Amino acid sequence: MTDVELLLWVRGPAFDIATVILCAGMVIRFMEIFMLGRKANLAEARGSEMAGGLGTVFRRTLVDTGTFKRTPFTVVAGWLFHIGLFVIIFLFVPHILVFEGATGLSWPGLPSNIVDAFAVITIVTLLAILIHRWRDPVLRLLSEFNDYLVWLVTFTPVLTGWLAFHRVGAAPAALIAVHILSVELLMVLFPFTKLSHAFTLWVARWYNGAIAGYKGVKS
Amino acid sequence: MSQISNDLEFRRRLDRLDRTQQRTLAASFIDHVLSLSNDERVARAVKVAADVNASNDELNGALHSVTAAAMDSHARCDADCKWTDHAGYFVARATMAALSPEGQASGNPAWQAAMSSRMARTCISIDSTDDGGEEEQAEQYRILNNYLNS
Amino acid sequence: MNGPSFERGYNTLKEQIDAPVAAFFSSCVHCGMCAEACLFYTETGDPKYTPIHKLEPLRKVWKQEYTFWGKLGKALGISKALSDEDLSDWETLVYDSCTLCGRCSMVCPVGNDLAYMIRKLREGMAISGHAPPGLIGATKRAVTIGSPMGVKFPALQAQIRHAEAETGLTLPVDKAEADYMLLLSSMEVMNFPEFIGAVAKIFAQAELNWTISSEAFEATNSGIQIGVSDIAAELVQRIVDAAENLGVKNVISPECGHAYMAIRWEGPNLIGRPYNFKVIHILELLEQLHKEGRLKLKDKDVRRLTYHDPCQIGRRGGVLEQPRNLLNAVAANFVEMPDTAGMNWCCGAGGGVSANERADELRIRAFKRKKAQLDAVQPDALVSACANCRIQLEEGLEEYHTDIPVVSLTETIVEHLDGLGSKEGHPS
Repeated sequence: MTDVELLLWVRGPAFDIATVILCAGMVIRFMEIFMLGRKANLAEARGSEMAGGLGTVFRRTLVDTGTFKRTPFTVVAGWLFHIGLFVIIFLFVPHILVFEGATGLSWPGLPSNIVDAFAVITIVTLLAILIHRWRDPVLRLLSEFNDYLVWLVTFTPVLTGWLAFHRVGAAPAALIAVHILSVELLMVLFPFTKLSHAFTLWVARWYNGAIAGYKGVKS
Repeated sequence: MSQISNDLEFRRRLDRLDRTQQRTLAASFIDHVLSLSNDERVARAVKVAADVNASNDELNGALHSVTAAAMDSHARCDADCKWTDHAGYFVARATMAALSPEGQASGNPAWQAAMSSRMARTCISIDSTDDGGEEEQAEQYRILNNYLNS
Repeated sequence: MNGPSFERGYNTLKEQIDAPVAAFFSSCVHCGMCAEACLFYTETGDPKYTPIHKLEPLRKVWKQEYTFWGKLGKALGISKALSDEDLSDWETLVYDSCTLCGRCSMVCPVGNDLAYMIRKLREGMAISGHAPPGLIGATKRAVTIGSPMGVKFPALQAQIRHAEAETGLTLPVDKAEADYMLLLSSMEVMNFPEFIGAVAKIFAQAELNWTISSEAFEATNSGIQIGVSDIAAELVQRIVDAAENLGVKNVISPECGHAYMAIRWEGPNLIGRPYNFKVIHILELLEQLHKEGRLKLKDKDVRRLTYHDPCQIGRRGGVLEQPRNLLNAVAANFVEMPDTAGMNWCCGAGGGVSANERADELRIRAFKRKKAQLDAVQPDALVSACANCRIQLEEGLEEYHTDIPVVSLTETIVEHLDGLGSKEGHPS
C-alpha cells in the first residue's frame, strides 16, 4: 500500500468506522449507565436535586485551596494538557476544516504557531504525567494496563500531529496518515476505556450534586 | 448557716466558692465514690485535687493522668457495656472536672464533679430498685454543710 | 435466615449498583486526588487507603456485570472474577480505614461520590461475612435488646431520674400527641448523660411540648454502620412505629452523626415509605427555637472557640449553618478551622471505626489530621456535637498531649440560658 492509498483509506472508510464505533460505543455506555436506574428518594428533601446537580457540574471544575495545595501537579498538569488538547483539536485550522467537512459547522481558529506552542506544552506535560503516574505511590497502585494504554493513545495523536505539521521523520502523506490513524485508534478506544469520562463525568458530577443538593449541601 | 436541702441551694453555695475551694470540695465528693473506680490513676489524681497547696504542675499532671483514665474507661461505641463496670468512668470524669484549670472549665467544677459522682453511684444501682443517686445527693449536701460550717 | 455466603454477597453487590455507581466508575480517571482528601491516607502515606482503591471489589462487579467488554471478558473466561478472597482482603480497607466521612466525594474532579459507593459495598461485605466482629455483635444487640450497647429502658429511666433531680424538671415519657419525640444515642446515655438534662432545660425554657418514648429511644443504627439494610430498616421501623403510635409531629435526632443519617436520610428509603412526621436534628431545632425567640441566651463565652463538624451531620447531613449560628449567639470569639464546614476533616472515628478494636491504632493515627487543624487555629476550646466525635477528640488530644478541652455545643447553649432552665436548674 502506498502512502497515498493509506491516506485515502484512513480519511475515508477507516474514519467512518471509527466514528461509528465511537458513537455507538458511547450510546452503549450511556445505556449501560441509565438502564440501571436510580431508586426514588423517599426522604423529605431539604434542597433541590436539579440545582445541586447543575451546581456541581460547574463547581467541580475548580479545586478548593486545601486540596490544590496537596495535589498541585495533578491539578496544574491536568489543566495544561486539557486546555492544550482543546486548543489543538478545536482551534487548529486544518482540524476546523475536518469538522466543517463532517458537520458543516465552522469557526475561527488560532494562528498555527500558537497552536504549535500549545502542542509542545501538551507533549511535555503528558510526558511529565506519565513519569508522575509511574513514580507516585498512589498512582502506581491504582494504575493498570488501561491507564498506560490510554496515555499512549492520547499522546500519540499529539506527537504525530506535531511531527506531521513540522514534516519531520517521513513523507508528508505518511505522517498525516499515521496521525489520522492514531486519532482513529483513540476514537475506537474512547467509549470502552476511562476516556469515556469526557462524556460521563457530567453525569457523575450531576449525580454527586443531586445527592448532596437533596440534603441541602453544595458539593 | 441554714442546712442545704435542695440542689438549687447546693449549687448556689458552690458558686460562691473560689476555684481552690471548689477543687478540694469536689475531691471530697469524689472520695465518697472512689471505691467505685479501680484505676490507681484516679485515686492519685483525687489526692492531688484534695491538696490545697498543689502546684500547677501537679494539678496539670494529675489532669492528664485522669483524662487518660477516663478515655480508657469510656463506653466504646457499639460495645457490649455493663453499667456496673461503667461507674469508674464517671469517677474519672468527676476528677477531670475537679482538676480543670481556671478559665477552661465551663460552669461550676464542683457541681460537675458532684453530678458525675452521683452518676457513678447510679451506675451501680441501675439494675436494682434503689436509687443510688439520691443517697449520694444527701451525702453531698452533708459534705458541703460540714465544710461551710467548719 | 441464611448464613453469610460469597454468592449472596456477590448478588447483593450486583443489586447495589445503580446509575450513579455506573456513572462514577465510568468516569474515574485514576488521578489519585481522592487519596489526598482521605485522612487515613494523609496521616499514614499508605496508598492502599486511597478511597477509589477501597472500592475495587465493587468496581470489579460493575465491570463484569454491566459493561460491554467486562461481560465479554467474563463470558470468554479471560477476566478474573471477584473472589471471596478479594472481599476478605478488602475488609480492613472498607471498615477500618473508612468512616463514610465523604470528603473524597467532595474532591473527586469527575464527581464520584465514593462514600455513597462504600456504603453500598458494605452491604455486600456484610452479607458475605466480611464485617468486623464488633459491629456484628452490636447489630445483634441492637435487634434483640434495642440498643447496640445494651442500654435498656430501665437504665435510661435511671438517667432520666438523675436529670430530673439535677434540673428540678419532670421529663415526659410516652406523652401522646407531643410535638416532638426525642431520640438518644447509647453513646450519649452512657458517656455524656448530662445531655439529657441539658435538652430538658432548653425545652423547658422554650416551652416545647416533647416526650421520650419508652418503646423506641435508641437513635444509633448499627445496621447502617455495618451495611445490612434489613437490620437498619428494622431499627428505623421501631422508631417510626413508636412515633406514629404516639402521634408525634416531629422526631428529634440527637447529636450523634450516623443516627441522623439513618433516621433523616436513609430511613424512609429503608422502610419503603415516607414518614408521617418530620425529622429534625437537635442542632436544627435549637437554631430554630433561637430564631423564633424562644431561647433566651445571655453572656458570651470569651474564649477562642472553634467548631468540629461531625461529618454525618454537616457534609453528609446538611446541618452546616445551624451550629455556626448557634455558636455565634453564645461565643464572642468563634474562629473557623482551615478547611471548614463542608470541607472539614473527619475526626477519624465514625462509621463503625470506633466500634472496631482492630482499627484502634489506625484511628488514633488518623486523628493527627484533626490535630493539625487545631495546631493551626490554637483554640482555647473545641466545640462539637456527636458523642462519638467528642470521645475521639478527647482521646486523640490526650494521646498527643494537647491541652484543649472538648465541649458539647448543646451544653454550651445551656450554659448561656437566661432565666428558666439556667444554672439554677429550677423553675422560677
